[in-house]
Amino acid sequence: MSMNDWILGLQWFFLLYFIGINSGYLMLNLLSLGSLKRYVEAHSLDDLPRGISGFELPVSILVPAYNEEATIGGSVRSMLQLNYPDYEVVVINDGSKDGTMEALRREFALVPFPEAGWQRLQTKPVRAMYRSTRYPSLRVVDKENGGKADALNAGINASRFPLFCGVDADSVLERDSLKRVVEPFLEDPRTIASGGTVRIANGCRVESGFLTSVGLPRNLLALLQIVEYLRAFLFGRLGWSPLNAVLIISGAFGIFRKDVVVEAGGYRHDTVGEDMELVVRLHRLYRTRRIPYRIVFVPDPICWTEVPESLKVLKNQRVRWQRGLSESLTMNIGLLFHPRGGAAGWLAFPFMAIFEWLGPLIEVAGYIFMIAAYLLGLVSSEAFLTFMLIAFGFGMVLSVSSLLLEELSFHIYPKPHQLAVLLLVVIIENFGYRQLNSAWRLWGLLLWMFRSKARWGEMKRSASWQTGGGKS
Amino acid sequence: MSGSPWVPHDPLLLLVFQIGLGVIACSILMLLAVIVLRLRLVYRQRRERRYTELWQPLLAECVFAVPTNLPQIPRGMRYHFLKLWNYHHESVVGNARKNLEVLAEAMRLDEIARQMLTSGNTRERLIAIMTLGHLGDRTQWHELRELVTDASPIVSLAAAGALLTIDAGATMAWLVTVMAAREDWPLSRVVAMLREAGPSRTTASLISAIQAAAQVEGGSRQVVRLLRMMETAHTERIAPVVGQIVRESAEPEVVAAGLRLLQDPRDLDTVRACARHEAWFVRLSAARVLGKIGEAADARLLTGMLADPSWWVRYHAAKSLLALPSASIEDLEKIRDAHPDRYAVDMLSQVIAEARAS
Repeated sequence: MSMNDWILGLQWFFLLYFIGINSGYLMLNLLSLGSLKRYVEAHSLDDLPRGISGFELPVSILVPAYNEEATIGGSVRSMLQLNYPDYEVVVINDGSKDGTMEALRREFALVPFPEAGWQRLQTKPVRAMYRSTRYPSLRVVDKENGGKADALNAGINASRFPLFCGVDADSVLERDSLKRVVEPFLEDPRTIASGGTVRIANGCRVESGFLTSVGLPRNLLALLQIVEYLRAFLFGRLGWSPLNAVLIISGAFGIFRKDVVVEAGGYRHDTVGEDMELVVRLHRLYRTRRIPYRIVFVPDPICWTEVPESLKVLKNQRVRWQRGLSESLTMNIGLLFHPRGGAAGWLAFPFMAIFEWLGPLIEVAGYIFMIAAYLLGLVSSEAFLTFMLIAFGFGMVLSVSSLLLEELSFHIYPKPHQLAVLLLVVIIENFGYRQLNSAWRLWGLLLWMFRSKARWGEMKRSASWQTGGGKS
Repeated sequence: MSGSPWVPHDPLLLLVFQIGLGVIACSILMLLAVIVLRLRLVYRQRRERRYTELWQPLLAECVFAVPTNLPQIPRGMRYHFLKLWNYHHESVVGNARKNLEVLAEAMRLDEIARQMLTSGNTRERLIAIMTLGHLGDRTQWHELRELVTDASPIVSLAAAGALLTIDAGATMAWLVTVMAAREDWPLSRVVAMLREAGPSRTTASLISAIQAAAQVEGGSRQVVRLLRMMETAHTERIAPVVGQIVRESAEPEVVAAGLRLLQDPRDLDTVRACARHEAWFVRLSAARVLGKIGEAADARLLTGMLADPSWWVRYHAAKSLLALPSASIEDLEKIRDAHPDRYAVDMLSQVIAEARAS
């Protein structure tokens, strides 16, 4: 084969790859459209006054905290005011080095409390258990540092109820978030896990731990992430839900049946993507053992979180996510094309592996190859333009379609100028931001390959939204 | 364009190029669709707000009397009006509710709802079903009964709710069997409906249904579901049937669900026997029931359960020990100090601390 044949072959490989990945996402988009329509119709009368049946399943909210001194008080207070009949909040202080434990003691009048240990999952030693004298449903586990997965496992050990909900300490929840995310468990007893949509809190106004008005952030990076989150949640996850092939439930807000997770061995300590790894493992275990189950995604925006506003922090986050994805998939490689793998093993897993896991490698290589080959005169200007047209055109279609899904369902950003800004963002994110993201993800992939050490995902938080100050 | 150096001459590449152009055109169309949808939303919301301002005082007036000057409902606002009317209907009771129904009759809401019932839009069908239920409209009884068997759990549940509102007595026996069979109906919603209908209407039907289900081989799932539904029934009337099911069933799930309903001290022997059941969740239910109907003599049995391998059995055994007649925290402390099992001691310490804190 001559050099020209190689160049031509590579040119077509990258072109077809870009068409393939984006067509896959468009298919997911169509699936999401149907799910979203059914969901919105089914919940059209939710605002009518309804009583509580007393049959709602009790839930333990687990809040792992590591160096969260600035935000922990407000977050826990908001979690104590949710509109749900029966729940407890268990905060797990994972050996924080700052004043997280002191802040908790001060804010909630904690006292040490003797608790009979339920040690089904192995964790780092628990130093003490505390109970709030102000809020009977609040307990705090103070333990030695062992990472987020270890903290969650300690929370599962300490929890009292059959369902647990892992929540990030900086998350802001909607008042009825638990009600909505527990619904799939009531509707179908086969449900073992359910996750909700996470939205971006930067630029919003939060008072007394609750979101009072939705705004757009002033920071460009945070703005770009709004569209990215829309894409990730409204079709990246919702599309897989009707096929029972959701592989990711965000660690920021996800609910699980405790017995199922304990039987599966709890969260793994040796991955930075413990949330995704657990979900993929549950698919693998339930599929291979032929146990009927459902893992559901709820499209309602129920949880708000702060996203990075600096390139450095964002890069670290994306690198960590890519490593988490790599670990989750390779640790559960047995699900891939397993004879009993179903949609999870035959569709979602290969899709994730080709387009999300190895995708950055091919995408970055594609851009570099096409630009270099064009500059060196190895590919024609027509081929170069066609490649760019496909890469940017499909990118735009996907971004705009996520905004379209949002407009067809929740219209979270109510003001016309907010929509105008988002329309602009869906276009500009394709010119630089997406490519940068691919590069960071490729870096994450390389780091995973060279096995650098995993640790807690530390993120510098501004928490400006907690006191308002966002653009409304 | 064909002469441009940027347009491919190779037919395959040209095809891909055209796909790219098509995709760009698609995004522009979608962008326009977003804008059109937003404009429509703003227009609809403004219109709804205007009509709400007009109708809200009218509906609120129904608390005292039926208003006389009734407005027309524009076709596009029918769904919105029905929703507002239903909202008010669910929020008030007594005369105000009756006045709302008179107002609905005068405004021919039944006709509107009947038309909407055949709509292809689920949202419209749901509001129509709810309205017909609140109006007690018997003319659509057959249609609503058909809808109870609809594949959509949302539509079928709404239809069941409407039938119960129209005439619970006439439909309860049949609906209870449907409720037991339709596992896609969330138990919480089913229970809420039964609770609203009241124990006087539900008890007899639930008893008949569970007796029939218990005879069916492999019907244990339905029996468990019916036992959960029976939590809305008259406790004394269901006690003999439930007691018999608990004694005779070999299914641990059935026994555990039945135990939850036992509140008669005459069932104590059955409960005590279940305290030694091999399934932990049956022992757990037994421990909880002993806390409600147990006697002082059951302290021995519960003390033994403190060494159970299940955390939850130990926890509820300790709590039930404290709930026994004439039991005190001091009694628990004595048991703790004498108990040889480390887990039992830990559990008693926790329950004692909880009792002191509350």
